[in-house]
Amino acid sequence: MTTVAAVVPRRPLRDRLGTPWLVVRRLLAVPIVMFFLASAVFVAMRLLPGSPATSLAAGGASGDTSAAALRENEAQINEALGLDKSLAHQYGSFLSDIVHLDLGTSFYGGNSIRTLLGGALPATIELTVAAMLIAVLLGMVTGVIAALRKDTWIDNLTRSVGTVSFSLPWFALGVLAIVIFGVWLQWLPIIGRMPSALDYRPTTNFVLLDAILQDRPELIWPWFQHLILPATTLALSMAGFITRIVRASVLEVLGDDFVRTARMKGLSGGQILRRHVLRNSSLPIVTVLGLQFGSLLGGSVITETVFSYPGVGNMLVNAILQRDYPVVQGAALAIALLFTLVNVATDLLYLVLDPRLRKA
Amino acid sequence: MTDRTEPRRAQVGDGRDGEGREGMSLIQGDSQPLLSIRGLKVEFDVPGGRLPAVGGIDLDLGHGEVLALVGESGSGKSALAMSLVGLNRGPRTHISGVAALNGQDLVAKSEDQLRKVRGKDIAVVFQDALAALNPTQKVGTQIAEMIRTHQRVTRKRAWERAVELLREVGIANPEQRAKTYPHQLSGGMRQRVMIAIGLANEPAVLIADEPTTALDVTIQAQVLRLLKRLQTDHGTTVVLITHDLGVVAEVADRVAVMYAGRIVEQGTRDQVLFAPQHPYTRALLSSVPRIDGPAQERLPAIAGSPLSGVDRPSGCAFAPRCTFAHDACNSAQPALIHRYGMPGQLDACVLGPDREKVAVS
Repeated sequence: MTTVAAVVPRRPLRDRLGTPWLVVRRLLAVPIVMFFLASAVFVAMRLLPGSPATSLAAGGASGDTSAAALRENEAQINEALGLDKSLAHQYGSFLSDIVHLDLGTSFYGGNSIRTLLGGALPATIELTVAAMLIAVLLGMVTGVIAALRKDTWIDNLTRSVGTVSFSLPWFALGVLAIVIFGVWLQWLPIIGRMPSALDYRPTTNFVLLDAILQDRPELIWPWFQHLILPATTLALSMAGFITRIVRASVLEVLGDDFVRTARMKGLSGGQILRRHVLRNSSLPIVTVLGLQFGSLLGGSVITETVFSYPGVGNMLVNAILQRDYPVVQGAALAIALLFTLVNVATDLLYLVLDPRLRKA
Repeated sequence: MTDRTEPRRAQVGDGRDGEGREGMSLIQGDSQPLLSIRGLKVEFDVPGGRLPAVGGIDLDLGHGEVLALVGESGSGKSALAMSLVGLNRGPRTHISGVAALNGQDLVAKSEDQLRKVRGKDIAVVFQDALAALNPTQKVGTQIAEMIRTHQRVTRKRAWERAVELLREVGIANPEQRAKTYPHQLSGGMRQRVMIAIGLANEPAVLIADEPTTALDVTIQAQVLRLLKRLQTDHGTTVVLITHDLGVVAEVADRVAVMYAGRIVEQGTRDQVLFAPQHPYTRALLSSVPRIDGPAQERLPAIAGSPLSGVDRPSGCAFAPRCTFAHDACNSAQPALIHRYGMPGQLDACVLGPDREKVAVS
């Protein structure tokens, strides 16, 4: 600690080079992570009982098709899809396709996975980012309030609600939200991402971006309405978690010596909170955000299914049921990439927030 | 006691006799004291009762003097100083008595009123600058914040003033240093930054809470000299909290020795260091190695341990550890008055002048 501190001021150039290098290093790790993930998904899919050919053949068969005919049908399908080749061969071509950014085509309907992801990934990013924003906002506010009102009924209430909210499973929350706000109160739409009556032709498939690019502000409000329930459903459990982390972290920072220094300076409580406590107590929250984003993505699979939201999670569930290997692989890779990138981003956010980490 | 294991310089009473301190009689002079403390008590709620950290103290502070508050850990010296700025206020703290700065009682002030005093009229230099500075803010920003909290100046002007202050506390290349973060500075420089923050608004009183304890011995001397120079230049009154008698010898004008929440002896630096009256002061001094003293195998330690519980004896708190305690010591709390010491020297020991023996034992 002290030796490093002594060296840094003497070598400002290296100090300045250090941070971009850290960024590059983190980004270089992404392909490696992706390789292992892709391999794991490939193996996992092959280990699942059942095969695409079985489901496809059964789907096309009528009741009186003989078992022999079914088997022959399956063999044809396997050959057509390349599934008759050895596993090693399939793995090799799978990897080489990924390197060429070719994710293949769906066994059903023959759509390219890139097209499918182009539609679904933006929807999932919107959902998870919205959920994250809601969770952070809710969690920070309640966590700070709980910390400042430590051991009062406000603190106890906030913590209890937080605990309950992160104990509730997503599907239960989702169904509850649908019943209350969609069916009983009829305040909000509960299905899909956009009203089917609305004529929306995606450019980027990020609605907010498209609304600007296409100069169609009327897209925003229905999109926003559709986003509220699934995003909040997804956010609540994370918010409860953040509340607890923020409370603990704020309490810890409040006891730090530099907060006493801030009081000594004559700052008001609000000034101390804004200028000294929040930033320092946000460090552990950022770590949690990155890790929790993984469970948020897991939750989005469930939430998207409950709300029939056309995202990657929904796509993944359907593809698994149909043993649509390329789609599962593509969707899983997309989710993994998203998770990895978010974690790189949180690592970088760390550097922004804590100057002590800004050296190689 | 940590006192014996810590590195310390040996200039306590090392033969240089005090070159007549002009500051010594400031209090006895006709001018009003800057800060006047009467019957100040600080008590903390602890499991099992109320801990009397400071048990009713009277103390005056003159303009431009350096008063050293000396005592062991837990003797109440920090509790006393922090209660002046209300930094130890809280639901479990009870502060009573009067501490009047220029006639205005600080104890009676509300938190909002006291905020206007903090950092402006009274500032504090804390012990461990690495912990006391915000790790996520540039040091220049932290100094400028102190300025802008009490002065209506632009951000730019406050920054320039921060750079000036860094220069004044002896930091080379202040324009660049202002842009660094605390962890990028050495311990000595961080403490200088802390001092710059303390002096930013030219406070009337600067409380220096063990300002050199966390530093290397060589750096300690530099920082002390800096503190003394700035104090002289600005005419700041300094309350120096320390357990290091070497520090006292170097910079203090007057000394108040605390034991178990009370002042047991008070006088000029030379009176207390060279003609200590109270047995506790004597014991404290004899547990410091002297460069001109006889080579000793072991330094004498004070037997027993300081009071720590909520219960306090009805008489002298030091009596249980005092070699010369007798019945009279336990009957009543001895008052801090002039007894057998030099003119102006106060002590709280009921024993007669023959307590001389303590020093030789």
